[in-house]
This record gives sequence, structure tokens and C-alpha cells, in this order.
Amino acid sequence: MFNLSELENDALVEVFNIGVGQAASSMSGIVNETVRMSVPSISFMNRADAGRMLAGGPDLAQERICGVSQNYDGAFRTEAILMFPEDKSLEIVRLMVGEAVPLKELTEMEQEAMCEIGNIILNSCVGTLANIFQRELQGSLPRYHLGTSDEILTATGSQDDTVLMLHIDFVVERQQIHGYVAFILGMSALHDLKDQINQYIARAMGQA
Amino acid sequence: MTAKLILIVDDSRVSRMMARQYISNLHGDWQVDEAATGEEALERVRQLAPDLVLMDVNMPGMGGIAAAEQIRALLPTLPISLLTANVQTATRERASQLGIGFMEKPITEARIAQLIAPLEG
Amino acid sequence: MHAPPDNRLSLLESVLSAVSLGAIVLDGERRIVLWNGWMTRHSGRAAEQMVGQDFFAAFPELRGHRVDAAIQQALYNNFPSLLSQTLNKAPFPLFARPGDQDRLQQAVEVMPVSLADAARHCLIQITDVSLAVGREKLLREQAMVLRSQTFSDGLTGIANRRHFDVAMEKEHRRAKRGNLPLSLLMIDIDNFKAYNDHYGHQKGDQCLIQVAAALAAILKRPGDLIARYGGEEFAIVLPETDVEQATLLADALRLRASELGIPHERSSSEARIVTVSIGVATQVAGQPVEIAALIGAADRALYQAKRSGRNRTHARLPD
Repeated sequence: MFNLSELENDALVEVFNIGVGQAASSMSGIVNETVRMSVPSISFMNRADAGRMLAGGPDLAQERICGVSQNYDGAFRTEAILMFPEDKSLEIVRLMVGEAVPLKELTEMEQEAMCEIGNIILNSCVGTLANIFQRELQGSLPRYHLGTSDEILTATGSQDDTVLMLHIDFVVERQQIHGYVAFILGMSALHDLKDQINQYIARAMGQA
Repeated sequence: MTAKLILIVDDSRVSRMMARQYISNLHGDWQVDEAATGEEALERVRQLAPDLVLMDVNMPGMGGIAAAEQIRALLPTLPISLLTANVQTATRERASQLGIGFMEKPITEARIAQLIAPLEG
Repeated sequence: MHAPPDNRLSLLESVLSAVSLGAIVLDGERRIVLWNGWMTRHSGRAAEQMVGQDFFAAFPELRGHRVDAAIQQALYNNFPSLLSQTLNKAPFPLFARPGDQDRLQQAVEVMPVSLADAARHCLIQITDVSLAVGREKLLREQAMVLRSQTFSDGLTGIANRRHFDVAMEKEHRRAKRGNLPLSLLMIDIDNFKAYNDHYGHQKGDQCLIQVAAALAAILKRPGDLIARYGGEEFAIVLPETDVEQATLLADALRLRASELGIPHERSSSEARIVTVSIGVATQVAGQPVEIAALIGAADRALYQAKRSGRNRTHARLPD
């Protein structure tokens, strides 16, 4: 399985923390409450393992997850998916929208709200990555998914098999919610990522 | 100008390395010390009496703001600057209450230059 | 075959004028370079005044907020943004008709637009979603009405068993937290099976409706809840009520039921009218018990009342 050195990992985690930090700033502007987001850790795994991990256990494999996905293309290609377990998604919507609604009744309007939240967070993460790597990308509008973890991870039919998984801690109104961002990447994108991280570190160290 | 001592507090090693590099680019003779947590920062401040503390906000355990509060209580005039990607009204207000500055991440050489400018007298 | 350039341009301009959504295009410096017909119709500001203006000079209230961030994402990062109606209430001053008070409900998308010979521009696309929002509000209200209906008993109109369970949970928790007493009344219509057998089920239903209404009318406090617990059984939750108050109320209820004077030939009572038996159980303040224990005590008290001759009340504390 693809992996990074400790230093490369540290750099990437820091980049994502900056990304979600800026997203949190945006979101706090929307709800007028303090919003904190951080990425405590990242890991690389194949899609099957990612599905299992997100399901949280074999008996929970059929539990539904709410996901918002966006495609990115250009300097590298990836599908990025923000995911929360079903009950946590409604917490997020409730916190952001200020209403208590059962998820089965999540109306189109509230799905749209979830899409915007995904749009803010994913654009922030990928944007920071693109800036630091000084690369140009283009992105798509967000799409809403509700299904099992396997269904969501295979929704686009991408053949790429490696998942860069970000663990996300999300805190609003003293409520802490744990979610995930998954980047589905192919081999060449992964090696490109590793290269770019090293160049970034070298540039900062005045060595490039 | 005498060489200054700057304490960098961040749980990310790469961040600390970069800050150290940028400071060294600007002032080769200045000293840089590092801490990875709020608790360590408190210790170093007691031992070393730095001229400036640059503190990441988002750290596990005692966060940057709590550590800044404790340092402020110990040393009312020590310049402290919070570093954060998440600038919100609440952060701004707290920083201002504590009499400390804050700076947006990502850390760049230009931003470091801004932060150390007051020390250059 | 494509139309020659001039015709094509005027074709596109006509189309842009005709589309039913707002289109604003900003150049790399955030100056407005395009403002379509829909925008003119719904903002009351014509293209002639808008084109060439700095976007934030035209809309200073949007600076530093979501639309601003979205424009930055488009111009600098080449990423599109979605501004949902739910999280962004009507950011632009747009109205169904000029002079209207309420703004249109808006869904906004901000997209990067690449040009061959100029810096990146961005397109702000605004859709009027007022109808959809109105529909959803109506659906939400209807759902709420339906939900409240499933908490009531179809026949008598008082609360149903489901409602009782929910209320009991809530009051039990509240009593525990607040060190308050909680009382429960179990009420059973005496010889109801015999009534049904003698008078028929329709009259049996009538009897239930009358008794339920009479009992419900006595309960004054908003926290007190009477529910149809079973076929001919009612339960009353009395928060913040101790055993004396509960017993007094139970007596009043028993009396009220008999005062209805509903004839009951097969009643065991001398007066040959419909009567009720009531079991009272109280959870003493500061001594909480399980809900099941409280219900069990009320049941046993009810049984005791029946055994002692019916048309009476009996009180018990849970074991």
C-alpha cells in the first residue's frame, strides 16, 4: 500500500489542516457560531478497506452514510468525497440550518445545504493543496449521495483504487462530530502527490 | 541589534522547520527554539525567556489559546502571536483581550517577516 | 453551417436575455461585464448602470461573506461554488416585481469562466426557487399535522398509547432530575365487556368517547395527560403530583364518570350506571423507581379497587 515518510505525512496533514481551518472560518460566517475543524490524521488504503472502515464494523456495513462528492481534474485527477454517518449528517444540517429534521425527511433544500457544506470543505482542502503545489485544477459542482459506504465509494465508477482518507473533527456549538474526506486516486496521481510534497518541503527549506 | 530568541510552538514538525528556515533567512544569527505542545511551550518559556512566541492554535491537548493564556499570566509583556488558518471573530476577540497578535496560516516568509518586525526595533 | 459571427453574437445575446435565470459575469478585477435581462427585470437595475461597476461597489453588503468567498474560489482556484437557499437567505436584492417587499428565494452558483485572451472571469448564476421553498414549507406543515394525528387515539381524540409512552418517559426523567413527585392513574370502565355485549359495540364506542371527554375535561394543568391505554382502559400522567393530590383527583374523576349517568343494565353498581375504578400510584419525590414499577403499582392498585367492589379508587406506592 502506498505510504509517505513521516515528514511527508506531517506536511500533508498540515496542508489539510490549513484547508479545513479556512473552511471552518467560512462556515462560522454562515452560522454565526464558532466552528472548529481539524484533521488529526490521514491514511492510505484500498477502496474495499475504506468501505469497511467507514461502515465501522461488519454489522454496520449496511448503515447509510451521507456523502457529498466533487471531481477534480487538470494537474491531477481525483474524486473527493466528504462523508458523515447518516445520523451525524443530520446533526450537521441541524446545526447549520438550525432545525430538527429526521434524515428520511431531509428535503431537497436540506440536501442542498449539505452539498454546500461539502463544496466549502472540499474546495478548501483541494484549493490549499493546489496552491501549495502551485498547480492548476478545475472542479465540479457537488453531488449528494445517500447509501452504504461501498455504494458511495463506487458511485462514480472510477477505476482508481487507492483512497487517501482524512479523519475530520468538526466542532460546532460544543458538539463534536467525526467525519471523513476520501480522495480516490490512481497510481500516477499518488506519485505526483509524493513528488509535490517533497518539492514543497524543499522549496520551504530554501533547497529548491 | 542583539540576536533574538524565538520560540515556535506547533504540533507539525514541517511547520516548525519552515518557520525556523524563514527566520534564519531573515536573520541568520537569531536563535530558534521549538515546542510541539502547549505544555512544552510553557516549560520552554519558563526556562528560556524568549523574545517572541509563535503559537499554533490547533494542537491536541492544551490548545494554543489556553497555552497563550497561561504564558500571558506568567509574563504579561512577552510578545505572543497565534498562528491559525481559522480566523473567526471569536479568535480575534480572544487574542485582543489577551493582548496578543494573530497571523493567518499558511506560514510564509513574508508573514514571518511581519511577525518579527517589531523585534527589529 | 454556423451563422456568421455578428449574427451568432446577437443570437447569443437574445438567448441570454430570454433565459429564466439571472446571469452576472465578473472579470478578473471583479468588474461587472455582463448583466442579463432577468437581472434587470428582477433587480430594477438596468445593464447600462451595472456594466463597468465594481461588483462590491454595487453590492457592498456582500463583501467578506459567502458570495465574496465563492468569487475568489472561481477567479483564483478555478473552482465552482454552490450557495444553497437554506444556508444563504436571499443574498441579492431581487424581487418578483419591482416594489415588492419580500426578496425572491435564491439558489446561487458561481462558476469560473476561462477565456482565450483574458484573465479568468466568473459567472454568477441565480435561480428563483421561491416556488420550491413554498412547496417544501407546505409539505413540512402537513407532515407535522400528520405526526400530531398519530399521537391521538382515533376514536376518542385523546392521546394514544404511543403518546402516553413518550410522555411517561419525559415526565419520569423530569421528576428524577427535579426531585419531584410523579403520579399515575390507571382507570378502567367497570363491566365494560358486559356493556358491549348488552348494548352493542357502537354504543360501547359512544360510551368510551363520553367517558374520555368527561375525564379529560377535569384535567387542567398542561402537563397532565390522559391517554387511551387499552380497549377500555385510560391512563393519566400527573407530573409534580403527590399521593394526596393524586387521590383527590382520582376521586373527582370517579365521581364525574358516575355523574354522566350512562345507563348500564349489567353494571355491578346499585344505580345501574357506568362507573370506573381507578388505581393510583405515586413515585415519591427523591425516590425514583423504574417506569415499569410505577405502572405495575398502578395496575395492582386498580386490581385492588376492582376486588374491593368497583366504582372506587385505591392508592399504592411502588415497592
